[in-house]
Amino acid sequence: MTADIVKNTEQRAGGGASPSRRGSVHPIVPWIVAWACLLPLPFLLTNAYTQYVVNVICINVILAVGLNIVKGFAGQVTVGHMALAAIGAYSSAVLSTKLGLPFWGAMPAAMLVTGLAGAIVGVPSFRLEGAYLALATLGLAEAVRIIISGTDWLGASLGYAGIPPPYLAGIALDDYRSYYYLAMPLALLGLYFAFSILSSDIGRALKALREDPLAAAASGVNVRKYKVTAFVLSALYAGCAGSLQAHMAPGFIHPNSYTITEMITLLLMVVFGGIGHIWGGVIGAIAVTLIDDLTRDYLQYRMVMFGAVIVLTVMFMPSGIGGLIDDVLVRRRFKAIRRRRAGVASVVAADDV
Amino acid sequence: MDYVIDLVIIGLSVGMVYALVALGISLIFSGLDIVHFAHGEIYMLGAFIGLMIFQKLALPYVPALLLAIVVTGLIGVLIERLFYRRLTRAGGGYTVAGMGMIISGFGMSIVLQNIAFLIWGAKPLPFPVPFGMPVEVGNLTLPMSYVWIVSAGLLIMVGLHLLLRRTMLGLAMRAVAHNKDIAYLSGINVPAMISLTFGVGCALGAAAGVLIGPINYVQVQMGLGVLIKAFAAAVVGGFGSLPGAVLGGLLVGVVESLGAGFISGTYKDVYAFILLVLVLMVKPSGILGVEARMKA
Repeated sequence: MTADIVKNTEQRAGGGASPSRRGSVHPIVPWIVAWACLLPLPFLLTNAYTQYVVNVICINVILAVGLNIVKGFAGQVTVGHMALAAIGAYSSAVLSTKLGLPFWGAMPAAMLVTGLAGAIVGVPSFRLEGAYLALATLGLAEAVRIIISGTDWLGASLGYAGIPPPYLAGIALDDYRSYYYLAMPLALLGLYFAFSILSSDIGRALKALREDPLAAAASGVNVRKYKVTAFVLSALYAGCAGSLQAHMAPGFIHPNSYTITEMITLLLMVVFGGIGHIWGGVIGAIAVTLIDDLTRDYLQYRMVMFGAVIVLTVMFMPSGIGGLIDDVLVRRRFKAIRRRRAGVASVVAADDV
Repeated sequence: MDYVIDLVIIGLSVGMVYALVALGISLIFSGLDIVHFAHGEIYMLGAFIGLMIFQKLALPYVPALLLAIVVTGLIGVLIERLFYRRLTRAGGGYTVAGMGMIISGFGMSIVLQNIAFLIWGAKPLPFPVPFGMPVEVGNLTLPMSYVWIVSAGLLIMVGLHLLLRRTMLGLAMRAVAHNKDIAYLSGINVPAMISLTFGVGCALGAAAGVLIGPINYVQVQMGLGVLIKAFAAAVVGGFGSLPGAVLGGLLVGVVESLGAGFISGTYKDVYAFILLVLVLMVKPSGILGVEARMKA
């Protein structure tokens, strides 16, 4: 399956640290700068609620970037991403309450569990494409949610409470301001890894897979291996985000946070931002989370609007915000070249006279 | 033994409803080459429209059913013309290769669901239809509502069969489903036939919604579960195959009912999903062995 939406953004999908920059400074340097710039944010937002929203934005960025890996890079249509986040959240919660693991043990373990689940979700993709894969992942996702809300030791439909906050150097990260210093670096780290994956050989293999699985296989790309890789990578992101959701104050998770509605909101972030465009996904995550929060009193109108935006984006702007940004950048570059040429031409003309 | 027979009867009547929704999905898939992810919401909308006609216009059940089928079919045609036409055309011919249609199907489903919420609210509404006393067949007592569902479902299926196999319109629809270019060349109005196919698919969904209404409550959230079960039915039978959809629907209904009766009622909704995933992984072409078309 070659997604024509994705095709449009084919070459433009965010290129990560450009090669020219790589020569002089290590590609992680801009990220450290970004981290330093984002450090004082919770002190500018004095309201605990806005601090909470910023944390949610960080978590959503991780989720959206993870979904972009499997959907945008590898072109596999999955609607089971929220179920993976649920698996991450619940395994992290169970590990830290039932087994007493600290956050720093529970989160990697939860990511491992989610990665395994991602591999299981990825197995149907060997034989299925497009809508069939969407069906299979939708079925798996709903099954996960129903099993969670029917299982008593997972809190059933009451939710799972009492998840301890993470401790960093002896300090409990139990309010939103301190939690930000956990969520924000993880989001940046996730972004950094996404860009490095995209510019690595894995990223190239995934893109080849997206454009044409047959051609990719003929060129020596191990299609099955890279499909599973894409699913596992995105599942790791989902597990990390789920674990962050679980341990954030007040340490409570509920199966209703992982329904198809949340999945569509996540889909909106990625689609609106531009499928296969990492920065677009980040913009989408920030914009959608903010709108989601500002319109929380008008839940139903908001969901109508979100749905309509998805439909209209797919209809009229299939490459999303990211595609628009790329268009503007490309056009500016062309204009600059044209201006330079025109300048040369006029000088030549003046010489002739 | 009676317990098993009871479960099978319940399963068959609920399966009839799944079969109708699955028929709509399969019809749309074969005609438009898209998998319609908002079909569960069409079913929900049909149930609400039927309920409104039944209560507000105080029509009897059967005219309400027929009217709801027509109204929902027209709404389906409208949705297809306004939103999906652009996407289905973009893929070359009327096929879509990509996730655009899937994503916009999800978007449409959330729009329809929340519009329904704004109109009718979140509370499950009863659909009180006086069906009369249960009938006795041998030593079995069958509630009239189940008899109604099965017989009305069978009638609708026979009607669809006659429409597709015995009329010129059906011939044109089948030609469009088979090959759009050649249908064009034969002088068939392809866009109109595509709208009609989509409308008939939506009408089948509405029929299912109105039929299940008297057994279950009518509520905004009823779409998603049925959507996945109908998908399971369509996939089990072989996607795009109409007899397969009916067979798959009945099978899913019976499996679900037996699973709820013998394993656990809590996970009643999961059995169909497991069946769906298993069939997709083991034999994507379904039990009737339709060639799995890797489209959309």
